Amino acid sequence: MISAKSVASEPPDDLASKWYVPAEVDSLRNLYPIVVAINFVSLCIFVLRGDSDSIFSSSMQMIVSVVILMLLSKLDQGQRFIRDGVISISGLALLLSVLQFLSGPQILIDFWMMLWTSLPAVLVIYSVSKPIVTLWASGNQTVRSAELGLSRNRSVSRFHGMVFRHVALLHAVAFVLLPILWIVDVALSPGNSLGGEFFETVTFEHFSHILSSESFWIWTRNSVIVSIGTTILGLALAIPAGYAFSRFKFRGRDYAMFSFLLVQMFPGVIILVPYFLVMKALGLLNTSLGLILAYSVTALPLCVWMLKGFFDTVPKELEEAALVDGCNQNQVFWRIILPLSLPAVAVTALFSFLAAWNEFLLALTFNTSEEMYTLPVGLASLISSTGQAWGDFAAASLLVSLPVVILFIVFQRFLIEGLSAGGVKG
Amino acid sequence: MKRVFVITILSFLFLLPIGHASEIIGIEADGDVGYRQVGLIWTTDSPTEEGTLFEIWVSNASIVDTANATKHSEVRVGNVSGIIQPDIGEWYDDCLFDSGEGDWTPVHRDLDGTAVVSVGAIGVNCTLTGLPSGIEIYLAVKSTTPNGESFLSSSISSSSTMSDEEIIVIETSPYVFAIGSIALSVLILLFVLRWMDYRDGRTTSRFAHLYIAPAILALSVLTFYPVLYGIWLSFTNADQSHLGDQSFIGIDNFITVISTSGFFRVTGFTLIWSVVNVAAHIGFGLLLAMALNSDDLKGKTAYRTALLLPWAIPSYISVLVWRGLYEPAGALNDFLGTNLNLLADANGARIVVILVNIWLGIPFMMMSISGALQALPKDMYEAAEVDGINKFSRFRYLTLPNLKSALVPLSLLGFIWTFNMFNVIYLMTDGGPNLDFDGPGSTDILITYVYDVAFRDGAYGVAAAWSVVIFVMLVVFSWTYMKKTNATEAVT
Repeated sequence: MISAKSVASEPPDDLASKWYVPAEVDSLRNLYPIVVAINFVSLCIFVLRGDSDSIFSSSMQMIVSVVILMLLSKLDQGQRFIRDGVISISGLALLLSVLQFLSGPQILIDFWMMLWTSLPAVLVIYSVSKPIVTLWASGNQTVRSAELGLSRNRSVSRFHGMVFRHVALLHAVAFVLLPILWIVDVALSPGNSLGGEFFETVTFEHFSHILSSESFWIWTRNSVIVSIGTTILGLALAIPAGYAFSRFKFRGRDYAMFSFLLVQMFPGVIILVPYFLVMKALGLLNTSLGLILAYSVTALPLCVWMLKGFFDTVPKELEEAALVDGCNQNQVFWRIILPLSLPAVAVTALFSFLAAWNEFLLALTFNTSEEMYTLPVGLASLISSTGQAWGDFAAASLLVSLPVVILFIVFQRFLIEGLSAGGVKG
Repeated sequence: MKRVFVITILSFLFLLPIGHASEIIGIEADGDVGYRQVGLIWTTDSPTEEGTLFEIWVSNASIVDTANATKHSEVRVGNVSGIIQPDIGEWYDDCLFDSGEGDWTPVHRDLDGTAVVSVGAIGVNCTLTGLPSGIEIYLAVKSTTPNGESFLSSSISSSSTMSDEEIIVIETSPYVFAIGSIALSVLILLFVLRWMDYRDGRTTSRFAHLYIAPAILALSVLTFYPVLYGIWLSFTNADQSHLGDQSFIGIDNFITVISTSGFFRVTGFTLIWSVVNVAAHIGFGLLLAMALNSDDLKGKTAYRTALLLPWAIPSYISVLVWRGLYEPAGALNDFLGTNLNLLADANGARIVVILVNIWLGIPFMMMSISGALQALPKDMYEAAEVDGINKFSRFRYLTLPNLKSALVPLSLLGFIWTFNMFNVIYLMTDGGPNLDFDGPGSTDILITYVYDVAFRDGAYGVAAAWSVVIFVMLVVFSWTYMKKTNATEAVT
């Protein structure tokens, strides 16, 4: 609080000078903990590599970053000396980071680590040596300039926030895309190689192989039958129930709705074993019907809640008018409500289709003969103890997930709305 | 000289009216080759000629002629070029033949599936399937030449010694009865409710019970019934050999569960797995949702679409892709410049499965939190900014408390889902490394271990008991969590 004393001689109404900290310094203070964390991650990578020189220089960098962080938090009005110190130590950090990069292997991750050590140092040097910060740090600023600085801070910090957002989002996107890019690479490269340069040689042999293999089409056929069957049966069960819950007051309504909620809370595991035994006893193992029954019931509660939510938004007046005009309840449902809520029904249908298309555990348990595998179990069987056909698997998984991903992305808004109507609110 | 000798022998055989049909001189049977199988080896005195047909006859008494025997199968001698030659195990009866050079090769199969051996074969070794086990059976081989001469070998007796495996035929009728009675009682219940509505004069909902009937029926038959049946199973000795006639054994299965060698280890790892995952999902989800929650962010839609991908891609595919990345030859080592085999190391594998599940679960939380964030009033933040409250305090004292009503149910839901997340661990490590027979592996969580108990060990009763234990754990946890969060809400 030396700084507070040094400005104590100024007029007491000068809150601006007291409050004012340049936005650059504030942002750097927020940035440097992240830099230290990423230094630590780099250190871990070097430890995993077992590269003792890099471990040493990386720990040096970490110490330097911690020193910069501490100096930044000390930096205040009238601390010209600290300001100079920060700049020179950042120069040291920059030097260390470049040397480290030049001495080690220069793969993508090293480049990333180098950016995360050198760019913040450059930013420190650039921002702290700006006239406005220098003026502030040397304690010579006037009240007027502090006030101007305060108003300038708002736009500057907004800009910095936006840059932060982009950096964070880009990192998240890279983390998301890394396995996806890799699988595209495996699908397009010859043989079963898992590593190597990205997109070194491009071949479509895996695609043609998987498209000409009989089992892929058998699995696809099974998956299509099961998914479409589930969608139809699930909707046939869910639409009337959702409508009844949305429109009618009847005895037992609350208990019935509660039972649907309860089922949603059941973990699938408690049903798995008895389910299997019942299906076995009824001879429904290794059939599409068994899976269709199981899937349409597991998706049923969510579908009912989604549809109830949609039906609630259809105005009641329409029905009342139709009833007055002489329609009966069934006609109202079939001729008025159902056509009006077709989009909602389509979303519910898409939801149950996707659920059935992607389900793994029940398909694995019920349909154990290769003839009845669905796509999930079939694709997983490509990567098993008997043989790891990574190239074929990669090609097949791209073929299988592409349509699903496109459907999901296109309808994401409706799917998520429906899910939150069914899941979270319920 | 040798050639002349062979030709002489051949022509001699041709010219001889009787006895030139290859005589079967050695016939042996082996009853120990497999379930309901008998191995039969016969050799001929001379190389067989084209067109000869061997017939294998089976009877329950010594075979003197084929009248009281049944034919099992045939082996034909002929030109084998261009005929498929399936490997051992690919066909119903495995047959090998000795073409005279002393090595046994699999027989060929013609379009009808008849075994074909090449001309000159001097021995055949067949594994005959579908024979009754435990009783003495007699086998004989009859060879017939193209011009009609035939020779019947002496008969040899053998029995398939492998005992009958118990083929479990589950009685269907109790299940049908149970399902039928449940369906019937649900229907009666609905009918009674409908009648009570009618009695009370509620006529607008005439069809209500009819409308919910299919869904309620399906739910009770396909969900409530299996749940109750599972609870019953957990008190029985049901396993692969006691299915259908399982009997009540009290709480033995629960004692087995508690005394499993890795019970506390697997429960502990399941808790770590769930808590770390949910915390990371919510933490990163919140971070990304806040990063996206800005009106003038450029490329917002692109970011959101890219970040949704882990949710959109079928989870089993993502998991297998990640497994490939973590393989020693995979891209992770290329990418980091390291030489790791994380999946082979217990703690490495644990970290890896958790990382993969974090990757999978973030988008759902991100989107859910995004929705909740958008619902927060904007003027609250504007007021805070005017008052000079810094970003961290705005987050701590405005955002978090206001999000709490959304975060509590979300975290509970996430916990239940993660607790029961089967795909990731099954496909990444299958519970390994360090899998052994009488306990969970290093990365097993409760649900993957239950799967192993049920479908690898066939111990259905014990698996049902595990399921009940898991369910009770979840209920207890959810209950205390709700209580705790409600309590803190009441305090603040």
